[in-house]
Amino acid sequence: MAYHQTSYFLFFFPLAVLCYQLTPERHRWKTLLFFNYLFFFFISKKLLACLLVSSALTHYVGLWLGYVKARHREILAQTAREERRERKQSLKQKERRIFLFGLLVHLGLLLFFKYTGFLALNANFLLGGLGVSARFTIPAWAAPVGISFYTLQAVSYLADIYLGKMEEDTNLGRVALYMSFFPTIMEGPICRYTETARRLYSGAPVNWENLTRGSQRMIWGFFKKLVIADRLDILVKTVFNGYVQYDGAVVAAAALGYTLQLYAEFSGCMDIVIGSGEVFGIKLPENFRQPFFSRTASEFWTRWHITLGAWFRDYIFYPVSMSGFAKKLNRNGRKRLGPVYGGIPAAACALFAVWLCNGIWHGSGWHYIFFGLYYFVLILAGNILEPAVKEFSERRGIDRACAAYRMWQRIRTFLLVIFGELFFRAVSLRAGFVMAGKMFANFLPASFTNGTLLKLGLDGKDFTVAACALLLVFVVDYLHERGFHIRDKVAGWRLPLRWCVYYGAIALVIVFGAYGAGYAPVELIYAGF
Amino acid sequence: MEKLKSILEAMHPGVDYDTCTTLIDDHILGSFDVINLVSDLEDAFDVEFSPVDIVPENFNSMQSLWQTILRLQDGE
Repeated sequence: MAYHQTSYFLFFFPLAVLCYQLTPERHRWKTLLFFNYLFFFFISKKLLACLLVSSALTHYVGLWLGYVKARHREILAQTAREERRERKQSLKQKERRIFLFGLLVHLGLLLFFKYTGFLALNANFLLGGLGVSARFTIPAWAAPVGISFYTLQAVSYLADIYLGKMEEDTNLGRVALYMSFFPTIMEGPICRYTETARRLYSGAPVNWENLTRGSQRMIWGFFKKLVIADRLDILVKTVFNGYVQYDGAVVAAAALGYTLQLYAEFSGCMDIVIGSGEVFGIKLPENFRQPFFSRTASEFWTRWHITLGAWFRDYIFYPVSMSGFAKKLNRNGRKRLGPVYGGIPAAACALFAVWLCNGIWHGSGWHYIFFGLYYFVLILAGNILEPAVKEFSERRGIDRACAAYRMWQRIRTFLLVIFGELFFRAVSLRAGFVMAGKMFANFLPASFTNGTLLKLGLDGKDFTVAACALLLVFVVDYLHERGFHIRDKVAGWRLPLRWCVYYGAIALVIVFGAYGAGYAPVELIYAGF
Repeated sequence: MEKLKSILEAMHPGVDYDTCTTLIDDHILGSFDVINLVSDLEDAFDVEFSPVDIVPENFNSMQSLWQTILRLQDGE
C-alpha cells in the first residue's frame, strides 16, 4: 500500500477517518495509533517490531534523560555561582552519555537494516584488492519502510531533551503516535515533537472544513504524482537503465525529466500527506516552497525537502560548528586568513559533515555520497566566491538585484540541480560519470528533432499532457511565490463554480493519470530511502 | 551594547542594527556569519554559546542577541 494507490485513498484512509471520528474523543488517539500500526504492518509486515522497539527506546531514554537533567538542575541550584559553570560541565558529561546511548542504538538499527549490504560489498571489494580470499556474505534482509524518517524524528526528540529545548514526555502513547503517524511514516515530512505530538494525541474531531481542505490538497498531490511523475517515469527509467545506447542530448533530456519527475512525485506525495494530516486537523510542516525559484544551491535546500535540511542544520551543522574543535579552528583561521576567509575552514568542516550525512541518508550507494558532496562543493564554493563576485559586480556596475541577474541566478541553479539529480538517479556512480561525460562529449542536438525522444516510451500525446501539467504546476508555484494563495481564493468563490473546479481537478487526474493499460505502477521514490 | 554593535557593524556594515529585527529572517546573517559572530562574541564577552543557543530568535536583532549574552554571562 502507498499513498497514491486506491487501497489507501479509497479504503484505508476513509476507514481510518471514519473509525477515528466514531471513537469517543478521549480514546481517539488509540484508534489513530491502531491505524498507524496497521498501515505500517501493510507496508513492512513483521518489521513493525522495529518501529515498536524504536518508539519504546525513544520514550524510555527520554524519561531517563529527563530524570537525570532534573536531578542535575537541583544540584546546580545548590551550587555556588562561581563554581556553577565548572559543575555544569561535569554534570553535562553524564547527560551526554545517556543521549549518546539512545543515539547510537537508533543509528545502529539504521545502519544494520540499511547499510550492512553496502558495507559488506565494499569490504569484499577491499579484501579482493588486498588479495584476501575471505568474503562477507551480502545480507538479503529488507529495511522497514520509513526507517530513515522515523529514526531522524526519534533522534530529534532525544536531542531536544538533551539540549534543553523541551521536557521529556511521560506519556508513551504520545511518543508512539509521534513516531508512527501513518501519513508521514513513508516519506516524511520529518516532524519535530513540539509540532505534532500533542495535536495527534488531542483527538480533535474531524470537521467539514478540514475534510474539504485536506481533500483538495490531496487531489492536487494525486495530479502531480499520477499525471506528471508516473508519466515521466517511463522515459526516465528507459534512459537511465539503458544509458549506454543514448547520446548526451537524450541523457540531458532524461536528467531534466527526472528532476521534474522527482519534484512532481515528492512534492505531490507531500500534498497527499499534508492533506491527510489536515483532515485529522494536524498541521504538518511544509516540505517544499517553490524550489526552482532558488537563486543559489544553498537557497535551494531551504526550499526543497525543507524538513530534512532543517534537521541537518539544527542537529549537525550547528552542533559541529559549536564544538570546541570548530571554534578553535575558527579563531585560528581568522587570525591567519583575516575576517573574510578565516571562518571558512571551520564552517567547511560543519558543512562537510552535513552533506556527507545527507548523501548517506539518501541511500547506500557511492552515487548518493557523491550527490551529497556535490552540494558541499557548490555551497562552499558559493561562500568562498561571494566576496569576490560582490566586488567584481560593484566594480563593473552590475546590479545584482535586477530582474535579469536574478533570472540568470535561477537558471544557473536549475541547471546545477539537474546535473546533481543525474548522479542521484544514476544506477551507479560510474554510470553517472558516463552519462555526464556523454552530455559534454557526445551531445547530438538532432536527437531533439529526429524523433529519438518519441522512442523512449512516451508518445507525442504523453509529452503534450506532461508539458501542459508542468505548465500548470509552474503557474501555481509562480502564484505562490508572489504570495497569491489559490486555495483560499477558490474557497471564496460561489458554490457551483467552486465545485466545478474540484470536480474538474478530479476528472483531470482520472482522465490524464498515467495508470492502467500501458503504464506500470510506480513506487514512491522517497519511500525507498 | 556598543561593543556588540561594533562587532555587528564590522561584520556587515550599513545595516540599521538599532531597529532591524529580521537579521536571520531576511538572510542578512547567514549560517557562516553566525559561526563567525559566535566566535567574536565569545571572545568579547567571555561567554560560551552552545547549539541550543543558535536559534533565529536569539540572532534576529541586536536586542535579542544582547539578552542572550546577558543570560549566558549569568550562567543560565
